Amino acid sequence: MAIARLSDLTYWYPGAGEPALNRVNLDIGDGLTVVAGPSGGGKSTLLRVLNGLVPHFHGGRISGAAEVDGMDVITTPTRLLARTVGFVFQDPELQTVYDAVDREVAFGLENMGMPPREMADRVQEALHAAGAVHLSGRRVRTLSGGERQRVALASALAMRPRLVVFDEPTSQLDPEGAQMVLEAAVQLVTDGRAVVISEHRLERLLRAADSLVLLEEGMATHADPRVFRLPSGALAPAPRARSASVAWSLDRVTAGFDGRAVLEDVHAAGHTGEVVALSGPNGGGKTTLLRLIAGSLAPMVGKVERRPGRISYLPQNPTALLHRPTVRAEVSLTLDRAGADESPDVILQELGLLHVAGRYPRDLSCGERQRVALAAVLAGQPELVLLDEPTRGMDDAARGALVRLVTRLRDGGSAIVIATHDAELRSALADRVLDVSAGLVTETAQEAVSA
Amino acid sequence: MNARAVAAWSAACLVIVLFTTNPAYKAMVLAAAIASLAAGAGWQRQRGLLVGITLIAAFATALNFVSAHLGTTVVFSLPDQVPALGGPYTLEALAAGVSGGLTVAAAVAAAAPFSLLLASHEVMDALPSSLSRTGAAIAASLNLVPTVASSFVQVSEAQRLRGWRPRGPRSWVEVVVPVVLTSVEGSIQLAESMDARGFASGPRTSFSRVPLRTSDWILVGAAAAAVVGFIASHAAGWAVDWYPYPTLNLPAIDVRPLAACLLLFTPVVTWRSRA
Repeated sequence: MAIARLSDLTYWYPGAGEPALNRVNLDIGDGLTVVAGPSGGGKSTLLRVLNGLVPHFHGGRISGAAEVDGMDVITTPTRLLARTVGFVFQDPELQTVYDAVDREVAFGLENMGMPPREMADRVQEALHAAGAVHLSGRRVRTLSGGERQRVALASALAMRPRLVVFDEPTSQLDPEGAQMVLEAAVQLVTDGRAVVISEHRLERLLRAADSLVLLEEGMATHADPRVFRLPSGALAPAPRARSASVAWSLDRVTAGFDGRAVLEDVHAAGHTGEVVALSGPNGGGKTTLLRLIAGSLAPMVGKVERRPGRISYLPQNPTALLHRPTVRAEVSLTLDRAGADESPDVILQELGLLHVAGRYPRDLSCGERQRVALAAVLAGQPELVLLDEPTRGMDDAARGALVRLVTRLRDGGSAIVIATHDAELRSALADRVLDVSAGLVTETAQEAVSA
Repeated sequence: MNARAVAAWSAACLVIVLFTTNPAYKAMVLAAAIASLAAGAGWQRQRGLLVGITLIAAFATALNFVSAHLGTTVVFSLPDQVPALGGPYTLEALAAGVSGGLTVAAAVAAAAPFSLLLASHEVMDALPSSLSRTGAAIAASLNLVPTVASSFVQVSEAQRLRGWRPRGPRSWVEVVVPVVLTSVEGSIQLAESMDARGFASGPRTSFSRVPLRTSDWILVGAAAAAVVGFIASHAAGWAVDWYPYPTLNLPAIDVRPLAACLLLFTPVVTWRSRA
């Protein structure tokens, strides 16, 4: 029996000419439903229909019908649907109200007006269901990304929803954190809940999925997850180039913040025309190493050297950079500053962004914004390229485009360093892999990391 | 540690420091606030606060020294023709500046436990039930502050590497605009998350409120006694006000209002370290 049913549903965001969802007909039943499709295809919008954030929170125009557990989504506000539909968002840092784990889990119960004496049991029950009992009593700020997502899940489960919706819950997490969250999601199905999850990395989910919805340009189609074959997905390995002179080096460097060392006694170097990948868990020191190489962070001890020339740095939240009125203007700014005589359309074409060149960057989907930020920092031919988790939220097509772009820059003589959890990206691009873990940097065999 | 008890102590500090013009009693309140914070948070965690209040106090002192050309004990003079700065610089103006600086420093230190010692939800719990929804929204906003701060660092670093250089106020647009836009988007996502968990769907309850324990009641009592004692001392003429003009004089000190101020040191005993 369907817990959610969408009939001929069409939805336009405020001011949008094209609908984000176009005549969607969908029945969502018990078990695990996976929603897949390219960036900007309408996945997040579809999920937000299920708890009424679309249209009640975002506004816009809607036609057709949407029903969840017998309630009309179009006339029932989100705050009432919240008792039936739990929602886990993409960014673990932007869904926390309180800094105490138990209190955070109880937030929904407080909103329901539940008597305080009943809340403690509910909080423990929800933490147990999310596999997060051991986090009880902790401060949220001390948790890893994966642990935070589990707390967010517990917070949704505390209200005992019939349907739990996940919007790309692992896109910000390292493999261990992602595994943690996906296991919890699959366990919910075993416990008898309906679960809808949108993800780019389908390998692990399809084995457990009962239903698969493919969404592209706002149109939904059903597929059988048992017979669905993933697009080859695998990134074509780039032909290796021969590296030349040293482009950057760290000699016995110790670095950190507030007198606390994050990296200790690091000795490493990279060359022109070479791609070095940094692997390791969240919090291991990858970003600190990139900032050291970039010169944004001074070492406490030791020496950092780099060849003179332009540095391109893609930070972890690259969309934070975007502030120009159009995508093209965003890229032009970098090119003008670099004095490069190159059309912005070259890199926009390479990253598949030419069709949105005239649009406001922050109006685009998460994956598209990521590509715009990449275009904005990589335009021209920088001497040193530093990328911090560049494939976050990207679909396979965009990752392929990134591999081609990085290969071109490398062949042009750029020295490239990429911090990434994406094993396929490492396999496709890295000439060498440095494992950054617990403050130590060690050279690792490519195969060992990929495994 | 109960936020209402902390609020009572902070209020007592503020009442006394704003009520008196006598720098000796203001200094006592400042000392009580710093000692209490050290007991609750440790010296290390309040290092930034100490630097901040020292700078604020120094600025207030300097401002009065250069702007109030009153008093008889002239230290030096600048020609009257010098715009804004010309005139006699007096010891009295300097002393009045120090007194003003003490007021600001003591007020900031007295309010600091809310950020240094209490979690946002503990402060929220101190609000009346009718303000619970507002309190939850404030707690959520406070949780965004570290995100905004790290966003500022990240954006300014990345823009610098993209060729941006700080050249006057207008150039900061390239850093401030992305940070503001990102903060607004973060707030929207947080609001979505709150809406998705039934925020504003009806009357709220509270998961757990920290009860007023004996030590909290002792603190509330001490704070009340300090205020009553000090105001009574003032009414009786024991807590004499101080005015440095036209000729500098030492502030009068009496043991009775001083004893009232000493009660503000109670947290040194009652606050367990949260360092």
